[in-house]
Amino acid sequence: MPIDRKRINGPEETVPYNLYTKLNTKSLLQEFDELFCDGKRADNRAPLEHRKIFLKTGVVSQAKGSAYIELGKTKVIVSVFDPREIPNRTDYSLKGEIYCEFNCTKRRLHQQDAEEKQYSAIMKQALESTVCRHEFPNFQVDIYALVLHNDGSPLSAAITAAGVALSHAGVPMYDLIVSATLGIQHNVKFLDPSNTEQRLCDVSISSDGKEDSHGIIVISMLHTHEQISQFYQVGNISLEDITESVKVLETACKDIVPLVQKHLVKHILKTIKNNEDYVILVSS
Amino acid sequence: MAGELLICVPGQRLCLCDKVYTSGQGTYERQGYIYSQLAGYVDIVEKDGVKIVEVHTSGEQTVVPAQGDIVTAQVNIITQQYCKCYIKCIGDAVLRRPYRAVLRREDIRATEKDKVEVYKSFRPGDIILARVLPITEAHTYQLSTAENELGVVIAHSEYGHPMVPVSWTQMQCSKTYVKEFRKVAKVVPENINQQRLIKRAELVTE
Amino acid sequence: MAEQYRSLHPIKYYRDYLVHNVRPDGRQFDKFRPVILNVGSIDTADGSAIAKVGRTTIVCGIKAEFCRPKAETPDQGFIVPNLELPPLCSPKFKSGPPSDQAQVLTQIIADIIQHSKCVDPKDLCIFPDKLAWCLFVDFICLDYDGSLVDACIMALMGALRTVTLPSVDYDPSLDNKLVNLEERKHLPIHSTPISATFVIFDDKIILADPTVDEENLCTGIITIVLKGDDLCCIHKPGGSPLTEEELFEYIGKSKKRAPLINNLIEAALENINK
Repeated sequence: MPIDRKRINGPEETVPYNLYTKLNTKSLLQEFDELFCDGKRADNRAPLEHRKIFLKTGVVSQAKGSAYIELGKTKVIVSVFDPREIPNRTDYSLKGEIYCEFNCTKRRLHQQDAEEKQYSAIMKQALESTVCRHEFPNFQVDIYALVLHNDGSPLSAAITAAGVALSHAGVPMYDLIVSATLGIQHNVKFLDPSNTEQRLCDVSISSDGKEDSHGIIVISMLHTHEQISQFYQVGNISLEDITESVKVLETACKDIVPLVQKHLVKHILKTIKNNEDYVILVSS
Repeated sequence: MAGELLICVPGQRLCLCDKVYTSGQGTYERQGYIYSQLAGYVDIVEKDGVKIVEVHTSGEQTVVPAQGDIVTAQVNIITQQYCKCYIKCIGDAVLRRPYRAVLRREDIRATEKDKVEVYKSFRPGDIILARVLPITEAHTYQLSTAENELGVVIAHSEYGHPMVPVSWTQMQCSKTYVKEFRKVAKVVPENINQQRLIKRAELVTE
Repeated sequence: MAEQYRSLHPIKYYRDYLVHNVRPDGRQFDKFRPVILNVGSIDTADGSAIAKVGRTTIVCGIKAEFCRPKAETPDQGFIVPNLELPPLCSPKFKSGPPSDQAQVLTQIIADIIQHSKCVDPKDLCIFPDKLAWCLFVDFICLDYDGSLVDACIMALMGALRTVTLPSVDYDPSLDNKLVNLEERKHLPIHSTPISATFVIFDDKIILADPTVDEENLCTGIITIVLKGDDLCCIHKPGGSPLTEEELFEYIGKSKKRAPLINNLIEAALENINK
């Protein structure tokens, strides 16, 4: 690998210390049983219970719009910038573009890796359907998402936060967008999975060779028009399970919307009040 | 304005779209209903018996220059054929990110277009008022100052002192009294009272 | 109207305020912005802190990994600081390799760590010439509003104090390592550097703890890093010249602020230990 001269480099070879801990030889099935017993999850949630959501807008002062979201321990920050000219473009496009960048703060290579690129693309697809792109032809709106702490469902968190950040930035949008994630393993559906749950859902763990439904589904919903703007699925899930899961996710999204709306209304009232204070100051 | 405010969020259905109510700024129409595009408050403007439903944001709105807008721009580079500038404000809205624009020689003045010389009209650093021309295939915006009210509003002389207009083609340095050529804008205050208010606001905030 | 003025003639806008001995955000010239420090908020890292200076926000995460010491310094580990200015924090930055500014700031921070000796590289050695810790100290800027070094150093000190390293049984003859995660120890911290940034405006006015606008418009910038009562490092990359008296005045001002930051770090750590 070429030397990166733009950063301070450590020693040539480093090894994470976790590799040398006493090996745990639990099978995935055991891990699963530990994670899910008596109809309760490790963090005491019911299978179809969403984690608590915390939202905050205006966290990045330099950005036009920004939002911070917490889903349990998952923390994502999203900022939106003014439309700018699309670099290296010669043809004319009637519709504006959206540029999304999804980043994890994991210690890894400094370039976006495949997973981050894929998530960026999904985010872009999800948001393209809600932004009125005809309002800014030939321009692109930059949306950057940074995952500060990943404890499962970072993509959903990023999409929901991006929706809030966009409306905070005053970008014209057709609808509010919210997103939710669901994991399936061993006929159990985990809404809003944590990192360990998500990891377990990724692989088949059944011991008797029978293919069980397992996988992850992420959907994004436009609230008023009741449209699914994005659907992403990995793993091996039977059709019945998918139909059921989508229904579960739809209700989950509907439950998130009031929270987002409440937050936006609160934000509007606050800014109006600030403006009013200013007006009073001027006229006094 | 307190109390009666109608707050809305993007995608909220506002009302039926019929002969009385039409969709205006910050809203869109779909299948006979008017929906909001922004998070903000609803404003209904009556015009010729039609009620236009508009939504305004409480904070800054994201806008890009459009044809016909009056913009404030700063001159960056001048050549014999054109001058390049940066659009900094659209109307009253201040942009966070400036947009590139070009003002061609033939769009500087309305009359005697072939006699116009760019360096006698603008200098780098000048603040100008201009109108956005129809957007063409070209990627940058094209501006025009071919109106009396458009042209240079703030300029500094070669020695860096502010200049005041003396005619519609000349400005004079406030310190050295040197006269320089400019395409001067005839600035008409939109609302004199408003300006006074702002003056007072500045005093209060100080 | 004021907004337009600010966008078109930022320097004049500032001068109009400064004539009245106040800054556009309402601060006096030598007033610092409020600071917030939150430690240990990221549990996937070995040590972490979030520091806010006004609106500037820096997240610092420290990750420890094994490595082999250098042949010329067999009894020393490594500290590798890197600052990232992602496009998220300001429209000025693009994604891609670190900008010049990020590189310069990274180097300043590296120098401060080295010269203040807050962490002794010898403490990071597990077995001479065979095994040592390498601390990757990563800073990510979430909101870029000036005085970045101040925020970085504060975040660094908060994060370093929360670092715990697991105990290691090392068998040099077999090159066998066994990590005991249950038994974690704090890293000894030998000093607490504290930095304060000032800008020089129009060659004469001094503003403490500048915002990003002030940094862009100023004619000179100076960062003073103190270690207790001792001077640790001064960074003044050109700009307006300073007289000796002025320099001492700044040092005095930063000295006054140091105990405040110190207390803040202690208070933040106390909260987490409870």
